[in-house]
Amino acid sequence: MSGASEAGRSVWSYVLGRVLNAVPLVLGVVVVNFLLLTLAPGDPVTALVGDYPAPPDYVERVRQQYGLDRPLPEQLVRYVASVLRGDLGYSFANRQPVATLLLERLGRTLVLMLTTVVVASAVGLALGVLAARRPHSVTDAAATGFALAGYAVPEFWLGQILILVFAVWLQWLPAGGFRSVRESYEGFAALLDHARHMLLPMAALSFRYMAITTRLTRASLLEVMNTQYIVAARARGISERTILWRHALRAAALPVVTVIGYNFGFIVAGSALVETVFGWPGIGRLMYDSIFARDYPVLLGILLLVSVTVIVVNLVTDVLYSVLDPRVRY
Amino acid sequence: MDFGRLRRVLAACALLLPLAAALAQEEPVAGGTAIVVLGADPEHLNPGISTSYPVGAVGANIYSGLVRLNAEGRPEGDLAESWTVSDDGLVYTFTLREATFHDGTPVTSADVAYSMNEVEGPNHGRFLNAYQRIAAIETPDERTVVIRLSEPYAPLISLLTVFDAPVLPRHVYEGTDPLTNPANFEPVGSGPFRFSEWVRGERVEIVRNDDYFREDERALLDRIIFRIVPQDVARSTAIEVGEADLLWGFYLPPADLPRLEANPDVQTWQGITIPALYFVFVNTQSEGLSDPRVRQALMHAIDIEQIVEQAQGGLGQAASGPFGAGFAYAYSEETDYRTLYPYDPERARELLAEAGVSDLTLRFVYDSARSAFASAGEIMRDQLRQVGITLLLEPAERAVMVDRVYNRDYDLSMQSFTSGGDPAIGYHRIYLSAEPGTPFVNATGYSNPEVDELLAEAGALADQDARAQVYDQVLEVLARDLPVLVMFDELNTEAASADLRGMRTLLDQRDGLEFLWFAR
Repeated sequence: MSGASEAGRSVWSYVLGRVLNAVPLVLGVVVVNFLLLTLAPGDPVTALVGDYPAPPDYVERVRQQYGLDRPLPEQLVRYVASVLRGDLGYSFANRQPVATLLLERLGRTLVLMLTTVVVASAVGLALGVLAARRPHSVTDAAATGFALAGYAVPEFWLGQILILVFAVWLQWLPAGGFRSVRESYEGFAALLDHARHMLLPMAALSFRYMAITTRLTRASLLEVMNTQYIVAARARGISERTILWRHALRAAALPVVTVIGYNFGFIVAGSALVETVFGWPGIGRLMYDSIFARDYPVLLGILLLVSVTVIVVNLVTDVLYSVLDPRVRY
Repeated sequence: MDFGRLRRVLAACALLLPLAAALAQEEPVAGGTAIVVLGADPEHLNPGISTSYPVGAVGANIYSGLVRLNAEGRPEGDLAESWTVSDDGLVYTFTLREATFHDGTPVTSADVAYSMNEVEGPNHGRFLNAYQRIAAIETPDERTVVIRLSEPYAPLISLLTVFDAPVLPRHVYEGTDPLTNPANFEPVGSGPFRFSEWVRGERVEIVRNDDYFREDERALLDRIIFRIVPQDVARSTAIEVGEADLLWGFYLPPADLPRLEANPDVQTWQGITIPALYFVFVNTQSEGLSDPRVRQALMHAIDIEQIVEQAQGGLGQAASGPFGAGFAYAYSEETDYRTLYPYDPERARELLAEAGVSDLTLRFVYDSARSAFASAGEIMRDQLRQVGITLLLEPAERAVMVDRVYNRDYDLSMQSFTSGGDPAIGYHRIYLSAEPGTPFVNATGYSNPEVDELLAEAGALADQDARAQVYDQVLEVLARDLPVLVMFDELNTEAASADLRGMRTLLDQRDGLEFLWFAR
């Protein structure tokens, strides 16, 4: 009893330590992002004014309005101070608070991302196990081949091919959007409609992560299957099935968990492309639009959100480690 | 008599007859929803503070202006029932119709004056040109607006449309910052449609205004959904698979046109609405380009037809000169670029030799998002190589491109400009002397006091014949100096569901969606 609570306490103090460590990290991310963005060529005022000549005094007024006339260090200090107060700023292009914009989009991206992570991890794990059970068999070759293809094909290209085949030629699934605009469904029908719209973008987005997970599961499982304790388990007459599922997979899952966490960061980047191809109105799309508009506050907000997500996911991954591997202690 | 030909003509008639009969029988039907494609979310829905394309697309159908431009580009009254212009061209008097905003408040002259003075004057990039010449806006009574100019300005009426000077509700905006007023997101207009819903990144929905002041022109459709489709390939696909009904040329990739034309469920259209030109700016202050003979050589060395065919999907007509084909009064046969500067590499080599220029290397800067510009650049690189000029293609993201070109850090740059319905609105800025650094104003560094003076004169003349004479002189100078390599007039295009009717009833494709209906 006391041992368990001791272990519990140590996990929590570990988590607390990690969170405290993350604060300067996030601040650093904010500063670096701010500098990278503002030092990049291109002027948000040009994007704001449109494609028509505006008199210099008008441009100057817009610049003042958004604080762009201030020296860079002052802009940076003001921005960091407002982020610390929980204020992410005001979007130049959308004329709305950044937080409102992000919240509106976040849900849709999370639905897409979480489903992608779950499906890609589950399928990847299953394929990896299948391949590792009989190395160099036909199943293995098929799974490995699939993984190679998945690794090589870019998401946006795959997305376009999927649209061409399933939306244009076969007309089975919608070509884009996140629900039908012509019909307005309610209740379960609405849910089904969303699901139909999500199938193709999810497939485009998950292919790569499925592939990575397959390869890693296979490699890691093969390695574990050759270790002493598995050989010992076999010698004790434990069935192959029990060895695989109870002993080997648990050990082999460690690097896989790491990579699933790691994938999160990449899925955010990938979602920018996939969301644009499929017209999925999420964070990725917003990021894409904001780059062209030089909408710094929105871009900074998204980058901050992504950084925090990556930090949190890393933390969760590390904690999961201790659950999966009894040797890991904090 | 050529019977073979007659037979073909008769056969064609026989084929067309049922179609003609079907068209003749079609009576406008009310009801239904049309889905119109937008490439990006509007930033907000107030056309009074922005020249952005999507803002105008939605806003033009919710708000009204004093005038509207019909399909031929001629002004008609919108909120204005009629107007008179004083002989000296300085005083415009408008009489307003009886109309109400969507919240039931009547539209008065005070709304007009407020919109121009407080919102559009200070905040609208294009209306500013007119506003700088407006001395006063008077409202002697609720139905009368008097605009007094400090100097005559020919394009004034064209700048009083819903795109440049929408009439906003004063009672909603007064006492607030017009740039941040919540009504920019839930607009209250007096136009044929009311704002209904906006889901960012997905759609903007507007519904028919049953109290629209133009009783015989109330919208036929129940509602219009503007669907946001950011990727150009996906836009054509949306039309192809019936997920959208109308796609304007602004958002239609030319390369997809043949595919759409081949689809029986889709109708396509090509033509000129608001004249627009494609051209190549020449940095006249760059080494080797200051001599007009070099610029003439460039014009001779470029095969415009090939660029139109291969880069523009055939959507263009070789241009006649700096103001294109859109304005009869701004054209002269003697200075037609098609006869003055035909494709002639031999002549180009001669001119370069005369100017003593050899081994010229030029940087071609263009907006990397415009794939047609990239293709045009590749074609030009081949063509210029044949006269001994090396072209370095330097694609840049739009914001960077604008910075570079208007600060004159380039040699050649491809651009497209709309005329805005009048050469004085859209094209004068290209040729007027200006300091570097102002986006969309004089990128070439060309400066000629004579041209400055003549263009100012042409901008102030309302009489088209008198204007034509001034433009004749301008054309002569520009044809010789050639600060800009004018390429072609843009042919506009549109793709729509085969059964959609009533498009392009007004000049701007985005305007007049109340005339849309489905033949089913």
